Amino acid sequence: MNIDDATAAANDRLADRDDMIVCVDVDKFYGDFQALKGVTATIKEGEVAVVCGPSGSGKSTWIRCINRLEVHQGGDIVVDGIELTNDLRNIEKIRSEVGMVFQQFNLFPHLTVLDNITLAPIWVRKKPRGEAESMARALLERVGIPEQAEKFPGQLSGGQQQRVAIARSLAMEPRVMLFDEPTSALDPEMIKEVLDVMKELAHSGITMMVVTHEMGFAREVADRIMFMEGGEIVEVGTPEHFFTNPTEDRTKLFLSQIL
Amino acid sequence: MATNSPPSIHHERPPLYRDVTVVKWVVQIVALLLTLGALWFLANQAGDNLRASNVPTDYDFLSVNPGIDLSSGIDTDPDTGGRALWVGMVNTLRMAVAGILVATILGVIVGLARLSNNWLLKKIGTVFVETLRNVPLLVQILFYGAVFASLDRVTADVGPINGWLHISNKGLSMPRAHIADGFYQWAVVLLIGLVVANFLRKRRIAQQDATGEETYPILSAFGLMVVVAIIGWFIHPIFGFIGNIFEALSSLVSSVPETVLQLVIGALCVGSSAYWIRGFLNSRRTPAGLAKLTDDDYFRMIFAAVGGVIGAVFFLVLWPGLSSWMINSASDLFEVLGNKFGNGRSGRPLDVDLPNIVQTGKFPNYGPSGLNFSIGFAAVFFGVVFYTAAFVAEIVRGGILAVPKGQTEAAASLGLRRSTALRRVIIPQALRVMLPPLGNQYLNLTKNTSLAIAVGYSDIVQVGQTVYNQTGKTLPVVSIWMFFYLSCSLSISVIVNFFNVRMKIVER
Repeated sequence: MNIDDATAAANDRLADRDDMIVCVDVDKFYGDFQALKGVTATIKEGEVAVVCGPSGSGKSTWIRCINRLEVHQGGDIVVDGIELTNDLRNIEKIRSEVGMVFQQFNLFPHLTVLDNITLAPIWVRKKPRGEAESMARALLERVGIPEQAEKFPGQLSGGQQQRVAIARSLAMEPRVMLFDEPTSALDPEMIKEVLDVMKELAHSGITMMVVTHEMGFAREVADRIMFMEGGEIVEVGTPEHFFTNPTEDRTKLFLSQIL
Repeated sequence: MATNSPPSIHHERPPLYRDVTVVKWVVQIVALLLTLGALWFLANQAGDNLRASNVPTDYDFLSVNPGIDLSSGIDTDPDTGGRALWVGMVNTLRMAVAGILVATILGVIVGLARLSNNWLLKKIGTVFVETLRNVPLLVQILFYGAVFASLDRVTADVGPINGWLHISNKGLSMPRAHIADGFYQWAVVLLIGLVVANFLRKRRIAQQDATGEETYPILSAFGLMVVVAIIGWFIHPIFGFIGNIFEALSSLVSSVPETVLQLVIGALCVGSSAYWIRGFLNSRRTPAGLAKLTDDDYFRMIFAAVGGVIGAVFFLVLWPGLSSWMINSASDLFEVLGNKFGNGRSGRPLDVDLPNIVQTGKFPNYGPSGLNFSIGFAAVFFGVVFYTAAFVAEIVRGGILAVPKGQTEAAASLGLRRSTALRRVIIPQALRVMLPPLGNQYLNLTKNTSLAIAVGYSDIVQVGQTVYNQTGKTLPVVSIWMFFYLSCSLSISVIVNFFNVRMKIVER
């Protein structure tokens, strides 16, 4: 049996939704090294896709190609019907629809938490400051740190910083959120608070693509898990399929190492 | 089991030479006495030696006609040595301020060019930096001087636009705008306009924040300023009454008795030291009460108290002339201001003079009515500007590269355009890294203007050297140089530090 019943059911459930991210034969080279070898995948609207795999397998490169922080050299990437090309207008459009959360948070250290969140709504969406600020406060409430609005990022703990970073991305009201190892730089006791926010987000129906090593999170909220190795997608399936009945040897080896 | 009572601790005073408190105090006091003693000894020795070798150390030359002509400046034929040095200082300051402005702008452009993706721009930037910073500044200044000296000789109708713009081996001469009769009253109008414009700007910003509509706050404030300036041009004489106020102030100040000011100065000395001690104690206070003071803290407070008393005694007893001098100068100042703002001044605020060429002796030269830049000025100016710009370019490049790549990526992923990201995210953080080394370059530029002596531009060093060649007062002139450059450097440091503190990133 190639594909088990649960995966088939999940595919059926997602089948009638619109495509949000479509990647066809995406290639990416760093000099002679090929980081992505013909990655092909489709992520549906409202889907939570978790990408996992050993380090150096191209997970981060792939997710960074999707909002053009890295430039792919071959294949096509289409986000919400907009093709990612050299056209600046398309790039801007895609970036304002796609939020991204980084491993190192990348908050702006010279701005307060509130200014970090309102920067893009004010300068990209041209929102009035008052409106942007009340939305920022609502978002801080949502990620559980409303009392930190006036502080600077350097005054917050890692978990709080990452939650501010999530709020900052949400302030642009994106249709897709990309998470690039959001908990890898955090102390163990802070991982939970960030994962809780991400779970709440996942249930809210936003499209999410998450690169992570948090298998508990993947098992709980992922619609599909994609396993990458050596720049290729090796296996795709539901969490049930992935954790109980993986078909590929490389997947089995990976799971035996991390579980 | 032993008993529950705490073990009895026997306190034993250590002998004095092992007691930390005593040793610390003795060392502090001995160090103070040694420093004072060394200073006194050096001053004494220097004084004796100078007297013995007949080196003059007086400043009489400041009020004596030095009989020298200066090549450029606000007064090329100064009456006194002091006036001559003052002209030199103004020339140095002019050069430093203009140099800092232009070097910064040029340096930022070159630094950004070196970071751009454009191959040609990048190479031009690299060649600029590597050539200019590797050739000694003196060589560069001499080179520019030689190039400019090879321009056409000045004649009665030298071009390129005769009567408006002249370029020759005497330098550049162009129309000069200057303050005229009614300027000060007009300035009052401008000041009022500035306050109103700032108010308008703030209101417009608030309006923009409230509605999201573009209200152009800076543009509208600027427009208001232009309107106010034009109206003020015609109505400024109505502010002539301000002159009367200053006249009244002048007579009020001159009626203050000397003893009152004397006592005020003494009280200020004691009071400020008491104020400092109070602030110091407050800063050491914890929520639970006064924290335990260390010996150092006591030493500082005693030092402050003694300093205050010494200051009071000094001003009250040793320098009683100070207060009469202060009263007279303040009164004079107000009188001058009263005259400047006075009722009788109803002419134009600003005026423009066209350059002229005069021939007093054998050769024609630029007359005083135009704005003249001598060849010496140009040589030194281009020298310090290009040389410093090369270093500023490297500082700008380093500052921008010092901002982590993640910042650019985060800004890009939020959809910020590159220009917005630069302005709002990258440059504010780069400035924090750039400011301290930029301050150093500004200090270097200011001090490097002293190389003007090589091309005969009348800066403070060149003028000072001429003065002591005429009068033989080497040491006094050198002391004035040192004091002048020290003041310039400290002022620049204060300004740079002010911005440095403001740019600091809050952590914890």
